[in-house]
Amino acid sequence: MITARLGLGMAVFLLLTAVQIQTNYHYLLNGSNSKDSIADFLVINKKLDNNNLGNTELNQKLISEIAKQPFTQSIGLLSPSRFKASIESISNQFPFYTDISFESVPNNFIDIKDIQFTWEPNDAYVPVIVPNMFLDIYNFQFSLSQNLPQLTPSIVKMVVFKLTVHGKNGPVSFNAKIVGLSDRISSMLVPTEFIEWGNKYAGYNASSNFSRLVIKTNDPSNPLLAEFLEKNNLSTNTDKLRYSKYRKVIDAVVSISGFTGLIMLVFAIIIFTLFIQITIANCRQEIILLITLGASPNQLYKFLMRQFYPGNLLSILFALLLLIVLQITLKTTLDKQMILIPTFISVYTICIAFTLSILVWIVTKNAIKKHIDS
Amino acid sequence: MNFNLINLVPEILAERPSTSISDIWGKTIQFNKGEFIKITAPSGTGKTTLVHILYGLRKDYKGSIQFQGKEIISANPTEIAILRQLHWSIVFQDLRLFPTLTARENIELKRVLQPPIVKAAEIDSMAHQLGVFAVLDQKAVHCSFGEQQRICIIRALMQPFDFLIMDEPFSHLDNVNKKMAAKLIQEECKKRGAGLIITDLDKDEHFDYQINLNL
Repeated sequence: MITARLGLGMAVFLLLTAVQIQTNYHYLLNGSNSKDSIADFLVINKKLDNNNLGNTELNQKLISEIAKQPFTQSIGLLSPSRFKASIESISNQFPFYTDISFESVPNNFIDIKDIQFTWEPNDAYVPVIVPNMFLDIYNFQFSLSQNLPQLTPSIVKMVVFKLTVHGKNGPVSFNAKIVGLSDRISSMLVPTEFIEWGNKYAGYNASSNFSRLVIKTNDPSNPLLAEFLEKNNLSTNTDKLRYSKYRKVIDAVVSISGFTGLIMLVFAIIIFTLFIQITIANCRQEIILLITLGASPNQLYKFLMRQFYPGNLLSILFALLLLIVLQITLKTTLDKQMILIPTFISVYTICIAFTLSILVWIVTKNAIKKHIDS
Repeated sequence: MNFNLINLVPEILAERPSTSISDIWGKTIQFNKGEFIKITAPSGTGKTTLVHILYGLRKDYKGSIQFQGKEIISANPTEIAILRQLHWSIVFQDLRLFPTLTARENIELKRVLQPPIVKAAEIDSMAHQLGVFAVLDQKAVHCSFGEQQRICIIRALMQPFDFLIMDEPFSHLDNVNKKMAAKLIQEECKKRGAGLIITDLDKDEHFDYQINLNL
């Protein structure tokens, strides 16, 4: 009996662990703390190799196919600047000049809140979004090597510089200002209107050719995504797909844990049913005497249920308790690594534990009724 | 509340000549609540068989036996359990105690099998009356047959009943104990307005029998 209950407790523990691992992982993917993180947005382009040099445009068919994939929530095309451009400082205190290119992306893919990211030719300045990485390179490499001051994001946003677009009618200059720093897309971003204007000014009208696009996905760890990119010779920041490797490991752990739990549950239930049968067979004389003295089948059933079920329920509760303790321990451990998971086990896990309690109750009830009736 | 026996003959006794001279077998007879009925018979004439048929333990008979107009043979297990908890009580000839339980536990088990009508303290009182108080906390298997017989009588008095059916209940008791047991049984039957059906080998004067029958 103790073996059967121990087996039942372990089986329940493994099953609940599988469910909890899965819910923890989903929480990490979809929890509010990771919402809109880099993991949710992937910039995709063709892998550049010797065979497709100069031919890296994404055709409409492939774009439609990407949009249809289950992992794609929405898709945004990155429009590159086709014009020559340069930026330079308007301050002598902080002189710089560089040629540059830009990209634009639909506004709903921009992660800087509370800014007006649009442009009209008469506007006071062109808003620009710069990758955080660029500022890091400046602050921790370039400024040190050139003996220049380091810049905080708020100082950078105050700097106004000159942006010059070179077209067929000669250069045109605008004031430009960095309005935000982003981790999402590693490009200098300007409003779509500015790109369209610049391309037109430079005499370039082919607006339907795109080499890069950005997708919003709710699960960058989806192995289907990595497979799709590989199959279509596409690439993205592999760091953003690192979760797909973890996901495979987690899926394997969940499958093994769940499968082992299920097998153990089946065996525990078989052993337990046999135990009920043996117990009732051993007590046959006593049961007959109880019936002779006036015990009703219902009274016997209730009595035997009281003998068998509470122990089983205890096994399930013990497994649940163990899981709660482990979840709290895991939470404490992962907190130190800035990985946030819920302190308490999920509602799904509790629901599964409740369902298993009912399942065991039904098995116990049926085994007892069957043997009392016989 | 009554038993109706109509041409009742147990299958195992059907061929025996003694059944033709019986006051019960093959006759139509009624046992009413409140009546004290003595059934006297020598060994082998079916006393225990009759008790078991009345108590719904045997179904191997011809004819009919009804309780409150309903065939006992057609009652389902739950109905039989209700009859045994609320309407019939019994003292078996072979006693049928749980050997590994104490005398008190055997009695208590019967007391709580239905909503109790006898207080737990009365177990002690009855055990005192019948001289088995000292063995109440002994396992039944360690009690003498006479003590076990008295424990069975107390156990039978723990429940409500319309009929108390007893199969040679005093077979291992001396006369003093027989009288004390009969007094207690009579009091409890009167309390309930119940009938008494008692089988024995010989005639006796332990109770004021209204009906005396030979099996």
